[in-house]
Amino acid sequence: MASVKLTDVKKVYDNKVTAVHDFNLEIMDKEFVVFVGPSGCGKSTTLRMIAGLEDISDGTLEIDGEVVNDLQPKDRDIAMVFQNYALYPHMTVYDNIAFSLRLKKVPEDEVYDRVTNAAKILGITEYLTRKPRALSGGQRQRVAIGRAMVRNAKVFLMDEPLSNLDAKLRNQMRAEIILLRQKLDTTFIYVTHDQTEAMTLGDRIVIMKDGYIEQVGTPQEVFDTPVNLFVAGFIGSPQMNFLKANLVKGGNSYYVELLDVKLPLNDEQNAVLAQKGVGSQEIILGVRPEHTTVLFDNAEDAIECTIDVNEMMGSELHLHLRSKNDDKIIVRLPTVDLSKEQRASLSYGNKMYITFPAKVMHLFDPETEKSLIDG
Amino acid sequence: MSEATAKRHMGLKTSRAISNTAIHVLLIVISIIWLIPFVCIVLQSFRVENTGPVGYVMPKVWGTDNYVKLFQTDFPRWYTNTFIAALATAVLQTIIVLCMSYTLSRFRFKMRQPLMRFMLILGMFPGMLSMIILYRVLKDLGLTQANAVPGLILVYVASSGMGYYVSKGFFDTIPMSLDEAARVDGATRAKILYKIILPLSKPIVIYTVLTAFMGPWGDYVFARYIAFGTSAGKNVAVGLYDWLNKDQISNCYTMFCAGGVLVALPVTILFLFLQKYYVEGVTGGAVKG
Repeated sequence: MASVKLTDVKKVYDNKVTAVHDFNLEIMDKEFVVFVGPSGCGKSTTLRMIAGLEDISDGTLEIDGEVVNDLQPKDRDIAMVFQNYALYPHMTVYDNIAFSLRLKKVPEDEVYDRVTNAAKILGITEYLTRKPRALSGGQRQRVAIGRAMVRNAKVFLMDEPLSNLDAKLRNQMRAEIILLRQKLDTTFIYVTHDQTEAMTLGDRIVIMKDGYIEQVGTPQEVFDTPVNLFVAGFIGSPQMNFLKANLVKGGNSYYVELLDVKLPLNDEQNAVLAQKGVGSQEIILGVRPEHTTVLFDNAEDAIECTIDVNEMMGSELHLHLRSKNDDKIIVRLPTVDLSKEQRASLSYGNKMYITFPAKVMHLFDPETEKSLIDG
Repeated sequence: MSEATAKRHMGLKTSRAISNTAIHVLLIVISIIWLIPFVCIVLQSFRVENTGPVGYVMPKVWGTDNYVKLFQTDFPRWYTNTFIAALATAVLQTIIVLCMSYTLSRFRFKMRQPLMRFMLILGMFPGMLSMIILYRVLKDLGLTQANAVPGLILVYVASSGMGYYVSKGFFDTIPMSLDEAARVDGATRAKILYKIILPLSKPIVIYTVLTAFMGPWGDYVFARYIAFGTSAGKNVAVGLYDWLNKDQISNCYTMFCAGGVLVALPVTILFLFLQKYYVEGVTGGAVKG
């Protein structure tokens, strides 16, 4: 249980490649923070620097107020779960979990209590005498978590712990990690490339790209108010639609002009734009697939599209549409409210109409790729 | 099964049986050729009627006289010398080789690549080149003749670090994340080597011990000039070979054979028990490295 503070932390490899640039973040005690980003964004490197497995090239790392830059991993009081489990193949599950305790010369009685207790929580009691190779992927991952659990470490680090599991098991383990977090009540730092994991697990999400932090915020914040195109495209599935459009200023209010359709903005958006002194300009309009309003009949402020693909997902449809400009737009449409005729009309080549309410529109500057309203 | 497939099935079976028999016959012939010298030596060592080399293989009179006489010569001293040198080398060389391999496999330091390349090139020079200078150094240190054993151990162990290839190759196949997990768990580097890496590398440890033991056990050249004629400093190879000069051969040939059998014995037993690991060690290191 401890806070972690990174100040201007930098990682430059021997071949002069900079993997992490000036990383600044303060992680509170008992907070669950997720580092997320595409591969090569520096998220694992940052985690490994916190663990002490990589040297910190510049900047300071504090755990619980103490600078730990030059401490060995064993002296940092951290626990870590690795992507490939990293179980010791020649030891039984019991010995694997007990390894760190025995190194600390914990009395064997207490080792027994702590190992069996952890095994009970993780549901691996019956496998304690087995070797790791006799376990399935999910069971191995539990052992790896158990090994980290018994240490009662200050900080719990997890490096893509679920990415070696199949989809079904991953969902199950994700829920178990949430439960585990409640039981352990300690500081968690979790690395993943999967935005769903990040959204469901994290108190706060750190979105990274090319060694830079793009945005830090709660799952709701990064979803609702992405500060740039990258975050907007990375968070959410299917990805946000991006369309070339024009922002037009008329007196004190603004509207978005897309394919001859004028989409008005709300008062709040107008106020922010006016305050920032934004004039008429080209923009990239971002709208999430689930925020698109679908109209079956033409209306005044509707954009005409042709249906390319109709994917049936069960509770909803994913419609891949094409506008007159050949812009591709994906729309998520819940099936429950659709009439039979409406469903029948959603087939390849048919016309349909969509529109965007003001509050779901994200406006980005094409040059800087930054949001004109958020951030 | 139709008649045709049954027939074809039978045909395949017969042809496989024929090729199996052929292979076995070939292997038997090869092993006979291989074993003849050993069998001859064993037989000669039990020959009593004549102590010199003779033109036949089967002894006419059987007995253990040669073995009894062997122990009235300096042979036990030579045997002890060799055993001490081989054992000490096996222990020291194994420790050095394994530490060296672990270092080169796990640590990243500036001179790592140049060092490895340097050792590779150095290893291409025959060790005999250093013979004269080594002799001078050992003589000045007083480690020749009667004191040859510590001198020999020094020579055998001195270059052991260069024999890291096979074990480094094996260590490279053990995932780095095991080391990292152990480091996070609180282990020092030495503990990681001892508790994680070595238990996972049993074949390579045994291979290293065996090769380290075998070198001094069969060494002739270095042992010969370091002992320099002093019987107390000889090892078995040197001592036994000296019995084959023209003054002694007629008296000592069968004793030489008996000595040869005794020299081969411990190594044969070792290999019988450890051959499984030895093969794993040789091939394991070869996969990656």
